[in-house]
Formats: sequence, structure tokens, C-alpha cells
Amino acid sequence: MITLHDIEYKLLLAFYEFDLLKNEIVTYLTLSLDDLVNRTGLNIDQVRRGIEWLRYKGLVNVKEDERKIVTLGEAGRRAVIDGLPEERLCNALKSLRSPLGVKELKGVVNLDEDEFNAAIKHAKEKGLVAIHNGKLIRVIDYEREKDNEYALLKRVHDSELLYKDSLNDKELEVLSHSMKRPRYIIEKSIKQVSVSLTEQGMELVKQIQSGARIRSIDVTAPAPIIYAGRRHILQEVIDEVREVLIGMGFQEIDGDIVQYSFWNFDVLFTPQDHPAREMQDTFYLDATKEDIHKVVSSELIADVSKVHERSWMYRWSINEANRLVLRTHTTTVTIRYLAEHKPKEANVFSIGRVFRNEKVSYKHLAEFHQIEGIVVSDDVSIRDLMGIQQEFYRRLGLDKVRFWPTYFPYTEPSLQSMVYHDRLSRWVELFGMGIFRPEVTEPIGLKSRVLAWGGGLERIAMLKYGLDDVRELYANRLSMLRGMPLCQ
Amino acid sequence: MPVVTLHKDRLERLVGRRLDEIKAVLPYIALDIEDESYEYIKVEYNPNRPDYSTDYGIARALKGLMDVEVGMPKIDVARSDVRFIVDSTTDVRPYIVGLLALNGRMDEEDIRQLISMQEDLHMGIGRRRRKASIGIHDYDKVKPPFYYTTVDSGYSFVPLNHRSSMSIKDILSNTDVGREYAYILDTKRYPIIRDSRGDVLSFPPIINADLTRVSENSRNLLVEVTATDLNAAYDILAVIAVTLCDMGFSIGSVEVRYENKNGSDYRDHTTATGSIVTPDMKSRSMSLGLDYVNSILGLDLDASTVVNCLKRCRSDAYNHDDKIECVIPRYRIDIMSAIDVVEDVMIGYNVSRLEPRYPRLKATGIRDKTLRSLEYARDILVGLGMIEVMNFSLVSYDLQYKMMNRANKGVIRVKESKSREHEILRDMLLPSLLDVLSRNVHEPYPQMLFEIGKVFSYDAENYNVACVIADAEADYTRAKSYLQAFVRHLLGYDVITEPMDSPYYEYGRAADIKLKEKVVGSVGEISKSVLENFRIKVRVSAFELDLSELLKM
Repeated sequence: MITLHDIEYKLLLAFYEFDLLKNEIVTYLTLSLDDLVNRTGLNIDQVRRGIEWLRYKGLVNVKEDERKIVTLGEAGRRAVIDGLPEERLCNALKSLRSPLGVKELKGVVNLDEDEFNAAIKHAKEKGLVAIHNGKLIRVIDYEREKDNEYALLKRVHDSELLYKDSLNDKELEVLSHSMKRPRYIIEKSIKQVSVSLTEQGMELVKQIQSGARIRSIDVTAPAPIIYAGRRHILQEVIDEVREVLIGMGFQEIDGDIVQYSFWNFDVLFTPQDHPAREMQDTFYLDATKEDIHKVVSSELIADVSKVHERSWMYRWSINEANRLVLRTHTTTVTIRYLAEHKPKEANVFSIGRVFRNEKVSYKHLAEFHQIEGIVVSDDVSIRDLMGIQQEFYRRLGLDKVRFWPTYFPYTEPSLQSMVYHDRLSRWVELFGMGIFRPEVTEPIGLKSRVLAWGGGLERIAMLKYGLDDVRELYANRLSMLRGMPLCQ
Repeated sequence: MPVVTLHKDRLERLVGRRLDEIKAVLPYIALDIEDESYEYIKVEYNPNRPDYSTDYGIARALKGLMDVEVGMPKIDVARSDVRFIVDSTTDVRPYIVGLLALNGRMDEEDIRQLISMQEDLHMGIGRRRRKASIGIHDYDKVKPPFYYTTVDSGYSFVPLNHRSSMSIKDILSNTDVGREYAYILDTKRYPIIRDSRGDVLSFPPIINADLTRVSENSRNLLVEVTATDLNAAYDILAVIAVTLCDMGFSIGSVEVRYENKNGSDYRDHTTATGSIVTPDMKSRSMSLGLDYVNSILGLDLDASTVVNCLKRCRSDAYNHDDKIECVIPRYRIDIMSAIDVVEDVMIGYNVSRLEPRYPRLKATGIRDKTLRSLEYARDILVGLGMIEVMNFSLVSYDLQYKMMNRANKGVIRVKESKSREHEILRDMLLPSLLDVLSRNVHEPYPQMLFEIGKVFSYDAENYNVACVIADAEADYTRAKSYLQAFVRHLLGYDVITEPMDSPYYEYGRAADIKLKEKVVGSVGEISKSVLENFRIKVRVSAFELDLSELLKM
């Protein structure tokens, strides 16, 4: 199996003549280096190199010949332009009224001494003139077109390079004649490299003709860049967290983004005058939906309002509860699930977008993702909540976790977790958690205990991807999305 | 969240322990260390513990948890005959409570802590002074009894840090604090506290008089809290009382007498003689079952251990067999029901000692069906070589309508957004995708992007999917090829495309996408004018589908 460089391939293809009608190779050629340059379009160095390779592979024979070339000398060139001396002599004779003697003729004809003599000699040889009574008589007219010698001289003149061996025998005879004329013909020997195909070479050419693939390619050359499709980098974190939770036995749920304040705040025991409910911090919609009485049981509304008034000692307002907000936490989704299903046992989680009316900075977004998980069971405690957290982090590759107390309006006791990030070499705050207060679970009719935990997902993504600015996650810079490998 | 500056040497002195020991305990009383310098530590505390608003309060809790001083702090309130006489404030700011703090001595830092606490209480319990506000006065500059009454806007006095008197009207319009809180006084008569000599102490909730300004020379203080919510006033007063007590003052009560016979509000809080005595430092009792405590915490503590834990949280506690009786100090306004006391047990036990344990979870894991289907959609598009992008649901009006040459219809706005970029809920995904293209014009083409996200209308929020294909030769046919592939691979159906006109698609090169007789989306070449708006120099073809609708089919 032979593989050929592009140059070798081109050279081989120059060595034959192909008959398109008969669809076959008709002859193999012997070519000079210059021929090869012309036929392949390669430069002389490439041809030389290529021929060496082919010779090494036994595909071509290389012969160095000496070849004779002929060019015209100064006199020869003049003869082509002005005509041979005998022509000029005959033209002069034509213009005479009566024949002249040789001597007299000399003065009339515009030829110098040597040329004159040569003219007479050659004219006599060519049968153009005869001497009669010492006078030169015209025999026949000189016709340039019928003069072989002139034709030959013209041919030499017109060819840039005329090889002597390209002349046939008759032409060679004429040439030897011309060569006797002084300064007419210059004969030179030049070295000629002639290249022809070997039998193996011819075989190969036949194979190429029948479509065999022999061309090699440059396998180190760069290929056009294409980009793979991929999920968004934050979506990948969401997917990873989702997988961990399902693996831990949690059921995934989804919920609306637009919620009544009732679900987002009131059921979660956040008093109606709590600062978090102000427009400073929460997005209220400039729109209304049907009255909450149409969607929530009046029993539930009454129970929630009672709990509020008893604990916070203020007048609870249904109008406040009716207001539509963009949910500020995914706890809204899980608490609705609990209110609707009232499970005795459940492990449920939700990942979704939440909204805070904040000024966007490198640390804060107005819209981001939260994960919320809950466990409903009769015999779970705060230690179990810590255990679940620990396992969750461990599955994300975060082995060192610490807990300490904190506060949320709807959980008691409440804890927050910190994980140790190896690459950053510091503790990073992660999730909040706690047990839902009876003020939350009783109005919705839940008899079991509810463990709840959650927090922002962007923090996890920033740790995973080594980002400092949370806005990067939503910048959608293609250089980043195309450049971030899946294995981190 | 509010912040307190703890000077290291003060803290050591107040707690009676070394700083490194203290630092280790701080997180375990729910404080977040925000900043630390050579001299101080700044901590953030949760708004449910206003008693943490000074280093005294934090030291009180630390002393408990570190076993330096346990049980309820002793606060004796001596009865004085100082009186507040209240009239005519019913409509505007009905309530006033107060106390005397005698024979104390404050240094510069004490005063700073006091002012910081006052601010925190104003913002927190006081709900930005509307519910309640505080005045702390140098008692030696005034003479009781004190009158809490109303005046008109022309009334004038010398306000704090001013040298000449200003009228009420003037103060409300020409001082920072006046402008900020004027909205609370929607009235024609303004509350004023005066002493028996007619000197003004305060114009609540706006500003005190300069006369009673507190300094390091003040030995005796008068504290008054005026309010629209009496419970808030009492809570605030209790926190102040215990703090001043820790500072070394002796606390004296004041009598608040209502001369105005109007208003049923007073009936609940007055004694038979029409007056009340404040501060109210009465503690509360709450019962706790040992089983309940252990069940919540996952521990097996005995009753005396629980009692000790509660004492470390500065409550008093006793046990009768397995029932624990907890006596809670007045300043613990965060304790509402038994569960709050259980949390105290946890804190007194110290969270660092709690060992996580993994429970036996009885339910099992499962994907949400709709979200699972979204994953399928995602997989197909990634398989088609597209890159997923993620954009916000809240967008600007310009992006969603103007740049798309769309007329607006049914825009859902949010109120008072802090940024113009987050004004309305998007009703389609395409504009955001075009925005991404416009921010990536220097990246190599072709660019093929998709997004799956929620879009909003007045009565629903649904998932849409949208794709954009951008390069020199992006055309309708290409978009339709990808659209077909997507729907076929997702559902096994073929779509029908019927011509339609749209302001953001090129004329004659756009179609409605129909599936089972329903229009489920649109496909087309983005119009040159829209591309210009986005400064996108290549051609873009796109499609958008109602994915929720599709998945129902």
C-alpha cells in the first residue's frame, strides 16, 4: 500500500496522455523537469524534490542526458529578418533591365563582400541563378516560402529553445547546410534530465485512474472548529442537585411564580407589617387576580388570621393577603403542597426561581434560583435535619459542614449551615433550615412534624465554576458557555 | 440585618472571659461575624432579638452560655412618683410609656451603644418609628410632671443639635429627620412632650429638644417611648430597661395618667384609676414537657439538664418531674409559644454539641412529570447542537416590545422595581434570545441557542421553548428543519406551518406553527429592522413554542 504526497501525486499524473473517448491511457511520456513544471503547476524545487521521492520509491527513472540545442547567431537572425543573401541577390537581379556581370553586380547589390560571394554560391547551389557569358542570369525566382533553409532558420528563430534532436533527418540536412554559413547557427550542449515512469509507476497510474485512494493527508493540520450543544451551566448545577435529592428519596414538585401574599407570607407566619413584605424588598404585581376567598377555604383564612392576631397582636387584613407577589422563596411552593395534600409522611423538594426587589450587584440578583426541601414525618428531629443536610452536601463533594443557630419567622428551631470549600480555603454560608412552627402547620391541618431547609443555588454554581460575580451566571457569554467543560 | 460593634477590650471586661473563647461562642448565640479589626468585631444579629442591639445585651447572653452568670438577670424597678400626663394625643400617637434610670455613669462608647440600640429599635420593633419611637433625656435638665399633649404647627422649640428654636412646620420641612418621618404625622395637631416648666423634651417621633441632650456628664436619664402600638412600646421599654440596668443605672418606674376621657383604646390598658405604671418588667411562665423537648431536638436529656440549658439562656427554670417550668424575662419578646423555649434549650445545650443523624425516610424519590418532559426537550435541542442560555423572567419594556417592533398588549408590571431592567414579566422568550445574540456578535458563527423558560400572561404561567439560529445564511428553511426535528423527536408529530404576519419576522417569511388544529407557536426569519435594533449583523431565523401546551397533546 503506497501513500503519496500531494506533490508526488501531481507529478505522476503528468506522465501520461489519456484518451477520453476510449477512456484509456494512450501513451506514457518522457518529460523534462521543465515539462513537469509546466504540466503540474509546481515550482522547480518542488518538482526536483518530488522526482527524487518517486525515484526512491522506484516509480520513475531519471536519465541525465546531454542534449544539443540550436539557436541563431547574429547573422542568422539578420537573415530571418532581411532575408537570406541569395534572396536579396535575386530580388536585386529582378530589378535589373539586363543581366550584369558579377563584378558590376557587386556594386549594385546591397551586400558586403562575404555576403555577396555567399549569395552567389548559394544561389547557384539552389539553382536560382546561372553564369552565362560572365553574366549572372536569373533562372527562377526566389520564393521564401519554398526555401527549406529559410523555414528552418525561422523555426529556430521562433522557438525559444530548439532541441537538435527534435529535428527530423531532412531538417538536419538543411541545418548542416546553414551551419556552414558563418555566424548563422550556434549549437550548444545542455544537460537534460528526462524522467519517465517505471513499470511499477505505470501500474500505479493505472490504479489511480481506477480510483484507488492513495493520497495522504496532513493529519496534524487543524480542523474547523465546531461547538457541541450543551445545557446552561446553571442548569447543570440544578440537574446535579436534583439528582442528589431524588437519590436521597425526595419527590420533585413545581409551582407558580406568581403567588398570593397569603401563601408567600401569611401562611408562613410572617406578620403583615414585617419589613420583608415592603415594596423595598418584594416585587408586587401591578395586577390582580380573583379574590383569595375564591381559591382558598375560608376556614384556612380564618385560622391563619387568628394565629397572626394572637401572636403579633395586630389587625390582620385580607386585602394585604390578596396582593399578588413574585414568590420570594420556594417555601411558598412546598407549603402549598403541604396544605393541599396534608401528607403524613413525605419528602418533597422544589427548585425554582425566586424574586427579591434588590439592587443587582456582584453578590445579589433580583431573580435567582432556590432549592427548598421538606421532610414530613412523625418522628424527625433537628438532628435528623442536620443529618440530611450533611448527606446532601457530602453527595455534592462538600465533606466539612458546620451548623449554628439563626432565625426565620416560620421555623423554630432554626439553623444555618456552613461548608468548607477546599479550593477557596474558607467556610462559606450555604443553607438555612429549621422545623416549621406549629403556627404554620396547625392552620393548614398538618399533624406531623415538618423539617424544612433551603437556600440559593447560584452560590453552589459559583463555587463549582470558580466565579466571583453572580451576574456571570446569567451573562450568557458564548465564550464561557462554549468554553466551560462538563467535568469540573 | 442590624449590626453591633463590639470593642474587644470592653467585651472581655463585660463578659469576664478571654476574647478567643468569646469569639468561638459568638456564632452559637446566632450572631454572624461581619468584620473584624484589631480593636473591634462587628456582628450581625437577627431582628427577633432586639436585646442584642448593644454589647451589653450580647455580653448578657454570652455570660449565660459560657456559664459566667446564669438565670434571669435581676432587674429591680423602684417605684417613683414621676408622672406623665397624657391628653389629646389619641388620634395621632396615643400611647406613651417610660422609665427613670438613676445614678449611672456612661462613657463615650456607652452612649454610642445606646444610640445604636435606639436606631435598631426604631427600625425593628418600631417599624421605622411609626409603631413606636424612643426619647432618651438627661433627667436633670427637666422637672416632672411631664405632659404629653398636642400643639399646632407654629409651636417652636430648640431641637437637638440646633442653637435656635424652630417651629414644628419648619422642622418637618427643613430637617433631614423631619422630611423622612413627616409622613407618620398625618394630622393638624402635633405631639409634644413638655415638662412642668413648659420646656420641651421631645417632638415624637421626629426629634428631641437640645435641652435634654445626653452626654457623659448625664447621671440620670428619663426614657419615654411614644407609640401607635402599645405592645411595641412595652417591648421596647423592657429592652431599654434591662440594658440600662446592665450599664449600672437603677431603674425607676413612671406613672402614665390619661386625663383625656375619650377613646376605648385606653380601657384595656389602664387601671381603675385611669393610669398605668411603666416599665412592665413582669416575666412570663411557660410549661414544657420533657418528651416534647427531646423529640424536637433528637436528644435524651433529663429534666435538670434542660433546666440548666434554659438558665444559660438567662431564663429561670424549675422542674416538677418531667414537666419543666420556664420563667421568661420581659425583654425576650421573641418567645411566643413553647417551641421557642425548646430552641432556647437547644442554644443552652450548644448547637456545636448536636450530632447529625440520618433519619429513616419513609417516602421515595420521583421526578415531576412536567419537569421530566422539559428535560427531554432540553436533550433534543442539545443533541441538535444548540447551546442553552438562561435569561431572567423580569425584563425591560424596551427589550420586550420596543426593540421587537411589537405593540404592547397586557403588560404585567411589577411595582417600584429598583432597576429598569426588571420591569415586566416576559410574555415570550425570543427577545431575550436576540439580546444574547447581540451581546455575542464577536463570537464565531454559526450561533445556535435555545431557552426553556416560563412566560406569563394574565391568567397563566407556561413553559415556552425558543431557538435562534444565527449565521450568514440562516433562513426560514433552516429554522423549520430544526423545528420539525424537535417536535418529531419529542412527540412523534409533524407540524404544519401556515403563513402569518408578525412585526418581528420578515414579511412573507413567517408562519404559525400548528399541531392538531391548534396554534402552538411561530417560526420565521427575524426582520431586518429588528436585527438592526439589536445590532446583529448576521441573519437570524427562529421559532418559539408553547411547550406546556405541546406536552398536553
